[in-house]
Amino acid sequence: MLVAPEENIVRAVCSDKWDGQRLSPSLFTGERTSVSRLSMIPLIDHWDMFRKYVQKPPERTLERIAEINVGVLQEAGLVHSKTELTVEASPLDWNRAHAEIPQKITRGLANAILSKLKLHESPGSS
Amino acid sequence: MMLDYANVQTPAYRLNDDLAKPSYISTVHRFSLDDTEEENAVLEKLGSRGWGRVHYFRSHFDIGWGENGNGKTLSPRAYDAFLRFVQVAQFPAGIVPSVFLTDGGGIELSWEDQDGHPVQIEFQRDGAEYFLGATQTEGFSDYQKIDGLVHALET
Repeated sequence: MLVAPEENIVRAVCSDKWDGQRLSPSLFTGERTSVSRLSMIPLIDHWDMFRKYVQKPPERTLERIAEINVGVLQEAGLVHSKTELTVEASPLDWNRAHAEIPQKITRGLANAILSKLKLHESPGSS
Repeated sequence: MMLDYANVQTPAYRLNDDLAKPSYISTVHRFSLDDTEEENAVLEKLGSRGWGRVHYFRSHFDIGWGENGNGKTLSPRAYDAFLRFVQVAQFPAGIVPSVFLTDGGGIELSWEDQDGHPVQIEFQRDGAEYFLGATQTEGFSDYQKIDGLVHALET
């Protein structure tokens, strides 16, 4: 099932991809990039879910959650490289809001996507 | 919070609480110190934060790390190429590149040129993937041509 352009999606940003100043484009490069749908699970609940299932201290700790609108993501793909990006629902046992971007995202396109992201800090963090 | 590279305060490197404890973790790998010149170059050009992250990636990322268990450990060839690059590269004044570990076991440097455009190079097992934001150029270079790549990324 394709996720509608009106929806917003998020992606966990762990310490291997965020150093406190910059975000790595490898957060989005490659195929089948995992994302999660805010329409199904609110942002506030994503923090606990990602801490439980995505982060793995001390290797990688959850640092930020990156958010983007699906329509904005798709526009970025078309403008940058005429790439038609889709987001496809792909529920998992631990995350019913899980979805994937199946298309291959190049480094250049990933950089274009990075510029559109909204980065969230953990609630209550300084 | 929208990311604003120009005004983000750079925190000093802070050791994760788990790493600050004595290492009883069987997955921690002990490496002997690299060549002093190489260590100094990493520390000088990437700062204490970058130097700490490099050792963090080398010591704590076992195969299977990552969200789907697909992460690979840092490639020794990639790391060697990274060290050689850091030793010879000249970054813009006042710019301290960031360093990241990629899921494929590569090590990536990211910084901005003098006009604020992103510049990235990811050292992989067989070569380096690069991106120049100023010209929207991306490509792959094998390690035999790394000197040319250094020059291209600096200009």
